[in-house]
Amino acid sequence: MSLLRIWAVTQKGFIQLFRDRRTLAMMLALPIIQLLLFGYAIDMNVDHVPTIVADQSQDAESRAYIEAVAASGFFDIVGYVSSSEEVAQAIDRGDVIAGIFIPPDFAAHLKRGDAQVSFLVDGSDVITAQSAYAAADVIAQNYAGKLQLEKIKRMGAALQTQPIDARVRILYNPNMTNIWFTIPGMCAMILQTQSLVLTTTALVLEREAGTIEQLLVTPIRPVELMLGKIIPNLIITLVNMLSILGMGILVFGVPFQGSFQLFFWLSVIFSFSGLGLGLLVSSISETQKQAQQIIMAVMLVAIVLGGFMFPRTTMPDALKLIGDLFPLTHFIPIARGIITKGVGLDMLWEQVTALVVYVAVILLISVRSFKQGLE
Amino acid sequence: MQGESAMQSQAKRIYALMWKELIQILRDWRTLLMILGLPILEMFLFAYAVNMTIDHIPTVVADLSMGERSQTFLDAMQTSEFFDLELYTSSEQQVIQAIESGKAVAGIVIPPDFEAQIDRGSAQVLIIFDGSDAYTVQSGYRAASAIAQTQSMVVVAQKLQRAGAAEFSPPVFTSTRILYNPNMDGMIFMLPGVIGILLQMLTMNLTAMSVVREQELGILEQILVTPARPFDLIVGKMVPNILISVLDLAIILVVGIYWFKVPFQGSFLLFALLSLLFIISGLSMGVLISTIAKTQKEAQQITSVVLMLSMLLTGMMYPRSTMPPAVSAVGGLIPVTYYLRIIRGIMTKGIGLTFMWQDVLVLVIYGLIVIVAAAKLFKKRLD
Repeated sequence: MSLLRIWAVTQKGFIQLFRDRRTLAMMLALPIIQLLLFGYAIDMNVDHVPTIVADQSQDAESRAYIEAVAASGFFDIVGYVSSSEEVAQAIDRGDVIAGIFIPPDFAAHLKRGDAQVSFLVDGSDVITAQSAYAAADVIAQNYAGKLQLEKIKRMGAALQTQPIDARVRILYNPNMTNIWFTIPGMCAMILQTQSLVLTTTALVLEREAGTIEQLLVTPIRPVELMLGKIIPNLIITLVNMLSILGMGILVFGVPFQGSFQLFFWLSVIFSFSGLGLGLLVSSISETQKQAQQIIMAVMLVAIVLGGFMFPRTTMPDALKLIGDLFPLTHFIPIARGIITKGVGLDMLWEQVTALVVYVAVILLISVRSFKQGLE
Repeated sequence: MQGESAMQSQAKRIYALMWKELIQILRDWRTLLMILGLPILEMFLFAYAVNMTIDHIPTVVADLSMGERSQTFLDAMQTSEFFDLELYTSSEQQVIQAIESGKAVAGIVIPPDFEAQIDRGSAQVLIIFDGSDAYTVQSGYRAASAIAQTQSMVVVAQKLQRAGAAEFSPPVFTSTRILYNPNMDGMIFMLPGVIGILLQMLTMNLTAMSVVREQELGILEQILVTPARPFDLIVGKMVPNILISVLDLAIILVVGIYWFKVPFQGSFLLFALLSLLFIISGLSMGVLISTIAKTQKEAQQITSVVLMLSMLLTGMMYPRSTMPPAVSAVGGLIPVTYYLRIIRGIMTKGIGLTFMWQDVLVLVIYGLIVIVAAAKLFKKRLD
């Protein structure tokens, strides 16, 4: 192996990279746009749901109930109609997402202890519907609790209504700030996607253009060629990751709890998995279009199953196993462990071992198939 | 050729170009297979992997009271199915350690004098969550406070009964009805989203990549040397791609309706017409991108930016109601936003034009603008 020859290929890679300014700018800007979107656009905690009310009782108790609903901050009362049909129509039209219907004689029923209130929720948006469902429940419970307290007080009992109180403490992220949770996952995702995409496109492009054969006529050996190709991509990938992390820390105030050195070097190891997968994809695809399609499918599966966007605990076992096949799945807990929890190798050694083994296997397979493709 | 009218010869040219395109598509069967297989993969993934309500949270317990009531409380946690009490330790510190090492995601600490505290009416249970896992915390938080509240009610009820009070029932019953999707089936929600995003991605990609590729290879110029005019070329390219897109849409619909049993409530004809419009405007968008991008790599990057924006901002998965106005406005520029509302309206709600003419109008206007712009710019670029 000759360092000189590897360096020559690396230089060629950099020259190609810097010549295509537009692509380079895009490559560097894309992760930042993504981060800003995740930081500012996505909020799964739905509140202020536009709500319409049909109150057929129109008495002091029903109004007090509606006020309690409005005061929760979850439902925003935007209008009043007179029948439950009109409520359903407003949801059909998409003017509101939820509706409250209170049948006549609410006050009388309340005295008898069998008052009914119905909530209608637009089920075509499941995420909002789920939150609304839970919120309606909580509000009703609180309201019932308040009424009960009054009842008990009238009975003259000297009792606490809440003898057991659950005090909830959330470790690492006490205010449940979304972006704190997103940053480690995004770092992992960027490391994986960028290294995979860059390697694949660079190699397929050379194959299509026939320049790989030209390079092989020179004294360079396949392994040297491969290393030379990988280095520029590795550097860009790491720059991308660092720009996300830097923005997360400086702009969004995400705390970095653990050892930065440990995180950086594990990131480098992890990037090699993407680079290896890239080699593999490039050796099975003939055109850029094919490569793009394969990458898309791989990334889709990896991101959905890896635990970045969706919780892994609820997945069926078979899918968890498939998820385990992707290195991303093993790196996400590492990233969260170091960045958010601030734990070290002593707590993470299982995931780190899994990661290292995977990277080694992937590299071995990909180097083989890359060599075969060339010889 | 002499007897033919201009129209006839143009039709012939378009037909020839269509054939060429179709042959190219069929020859690259690997790509074709991926195009047709990707939506199915995506649907199965979303259907079986994505479940946002979390239960059976691995939980570590430190019961320092070891009494009857603390056991009742822990039983209530366990039977709620939200918490799986897997590990038992003897101090708060060990609970935190278990969470730190990732062995558990939640922890419960019951203080030593729990029983006495209940009698005094002020017992406190400490529940600790791993905050690095936002999804679990959100579900667990709610479940934990609900369980504590019910347990409180039980204790109060017992005391009241002992004091000789009459029956004790909650005075208000709420019934929540979820319209259109009573069981909150995730697939009913995801299917329209998958259709919208995939159609957009597919249509844009198909034309953008193939036009740019032909530009790169100089094939476009070669074709233009023949009597074919830019208009013929673009129609010849569009038609086979429309066929593929429609085929893709049909596959998703069939799998969704027959395998996942997603109900189709509204008018199929309306759905088909508006989808066709959306497909044609997506293909035109691809042509527009091809006039900007010089290489396939650039085209790919532009389409992936559009794709990313569409996935995050159009309401496919993430609620649009919680976005800040500026971000929401950016989402409003993407046609998928309107198309999604329309097909959710038709498929899930079963409503017609009277309820959603505004969204349809926006989609139609957008479609016309893109198609005209694409035709103009493409012609200009070639002339």
